[in-house]
Amino acid sequence: MVRYLKRLFVILVIVFIPAGFFTEHEHAVYLWHRIPSVDAIFGVLGALLLLVATKIVSSFASRREDFYD
Amino acid sequence: MIKPVPPAFIFILGAMLIPLLRLRGNLKQPYLILVSVTAFIDLLYLEPGTSWVYRFLGYDLVFAQVDRLSLAIGYIFVIIGFLAILYSLHVKEDGQHVAAFLYVGGSLGVVFAGDYFSLFAFWEIMAVTSVFLIWYRREKESLDAGFRYVFMHIFGGCSLLTGIIIHIVSQGFTAVGPLESDLGSLFILIGFGLNAAFIPLHTWLPDSYPQGTVTGSVFLSVYTTKTGVYVLARCFSGADVVAYMGGIMAVYGVLYALLQNDTRKLLSYHIISQVGYMVAGIGVGTALGVNGGIAHLVNNILYKSLLFMCMGSVIYMTGKRKLTELGGLAKLMPVTCIACIIASLSISGGPGFNGFVSKGMVISSAAGVGKPILELMLILASVGTFLSFTKLCYFTFFVHNEGIRAKEAPFNMQLAMILTAFLCVFIGVYPRVLFSVLPYHRVYYHPYTPSHVVGVLQLFLLAGWVFMAAKAAFSPHAGIVLDFDYFYRMTCRGIVWLCMVPLNGFRVKAQAFLSREVTSIASLSRNPISIPAITKQYVHLMTAQILKYNAEISQNRKRELEHIRSRLREIKGMAYNENTYRGPMGLGILLALIFLFFYGLIYFLAS
Repeated sequence: MVRYLKRLFVILVIVFIPAGFFTEHEHAVYLWHRIPSVDAIFGVLGALLLLVATKIVSSFASRREDFYD
Repeated sequence: MIKPVPPAFIFILGAMLIPLLRLRGNLKQPYLILVSVTAFIDLLYLEPGTSWVYRFLGYDLVFAQVDRLSLAIGYIFVIIGFLAILYSLHVKEDGQHVAAFLYVGGSLGVVFAGDYFSLFAFWEIMAVTSVFLIWYRREKESLDAGFRYVFMHIFGGCSLLTGIIIHIVSQGFTAVGPLESDLGSLFILIGFGLNAAFIPLHTWLPDSYPQGTVTGSVFLSVYTTKTGVYVLARCFSGADVVAYMGGIMAVYGVLYALLQNDTRKLLSYHIISQVGYMVAGIGVGTALGVNGGIAHLVNNILYKSLLFMCMGSVIYMTGKRKLTELGGLAKLMPVTCIACIIASLSISGGPGFNGFVSKGMVISSAAGVGKPILELMLILASVGTFLSFTKLCYFTFFVHNEGIRAKEAPFNMQLAMILTAFLCVFIGVYPRVLFSVLPYHRVYYHPYTPSHVVGVLQLFLLAGWVFMAAKAAFSPHAGIVLDFDYFYRMTCRGIVWLCMVPLNGFRVKAQAFLSREVTSIASLSRNPISIPAITKQYVHLMTAQILKYNAEISQNRKRELEHIRSRLREIKGMAYNENTYRGPMGLGILLALIFLFFYGLIYFLAS
């Protein structure tokens, strides 16, 4: 099951990342609207940024379940 | 023809009849359904305009201000009310149904209120009735969370009332509509913002919603925050501060959602995040922005209530609510699992699901008015939403867990989930039905453009790849994560300490001092004639005691002090005997004549 999901993922990446080069943003306003497949970059950078942010927040704000009791 | 009534009254009257009719078993369930169906039919007959106006204390109270905006919200409130009632049909406690009906009625009252006083009245009905959906869980955590919920909403209600009074005093009695920026509108914004979960006034939401009853949390997830968004759309559309607050809420919500272990707490933080999208759209203020915000409100109600239904079913059937305790439920609860995946794809904005339509509208509106930071914040929140729902589905349904035992939820719960999931897909596939009820009906937006579809899929694929690559880093951990409520709780504890230690210490000392003095006065009052003698002895004693420290103390001096003390005690203990002090009657008459003489003399000289 996991193997099939991995294959599906690879196929989807092969299909949709190049597809970004053939689709244009209809109402491009900013620079990033004109970069092909920019949403893929946003996906990676956003996920990494949130991962780092969660680690920073949990490093000083994590407490035991009964902290307020 | 019967005049349609404000739908709020149908739910409120319906709630009052639940305990009076004392319906049992098979009759109660049709009655609950009948009330919500009646409200929907009534809503269909409500015509745009102002009706149900009553004069009260010189003000016009408007209970039915009907336009496209209020109708759009009214429709979704009644539809989801029906689905939530369907989901909770198995609940036997009448009190829960009464609280839910009054809560829905209060929310509809806010939506159709045409003046600020009736809006405030329905606002408070919502706050008071919704807390019972938390307290009915009957656990200590729920009771505590309910009190914190009430305190926060009392604060918001006071702020709202202050703002309304300032507004009416300065500008007169106006209809609910756009407000100018002044002191009154600031207070009103705080009141509305508390219900819409503005950061940092949001803490009541993730604190209380996870503590609600399984069915109560479904109602809670819909009405309070969405009425907040509705009134923001009415009164603060186009305000920059509101737009950026929306962006902050969207990012803050997903960041904290990613840190949660409790499933319903994760969903609660996502309410904040999704409300952030709505608030951002309304803050942008353009026709596309407001339509996007309201469309997202409608969609969010559907998929968020579906998510609460799914997690409610999981808790109801397994008794577990933490991601660290769950897993392996995909085979045991397939209907719940599929419904949860549909809801997750909807909230993430996957193509073919309702969130895809409205999220795109809000993000496009932010880009269209020159707010690049806001657009990037909303895209970041989109990535976070996908990540946290991948985490929720994976750790609830797919991760290996041999120890878990469960079966599928009761039929009424499954039916409610299936219907709600169908609506999520239906609006996603056929968004025109949603566009037809939005406030600005001449705005055209085409969600299914190649760049939008491909862009969202790229976003999901790459964010999903990061999730799978760093699965251990995203895995849930036992414990809690402190939020702004830490400061509120510490401030409250500080106030309690101030009352318990310094102020209470002062009270005890003051009470002891006053008790001593009262005892002395009571003692003296037993024989007032002895006061001069006691004063004399007391002065004598004090003088002797002062001298004691300044001179050699002889045995005689000690004896003298002891003598004075015993004399003082003797005088104090002496009871009043009127015969001791009785004089001849002639003396009293003489004194009276002397006083009368001097009084007459003074009167004569003065005149």
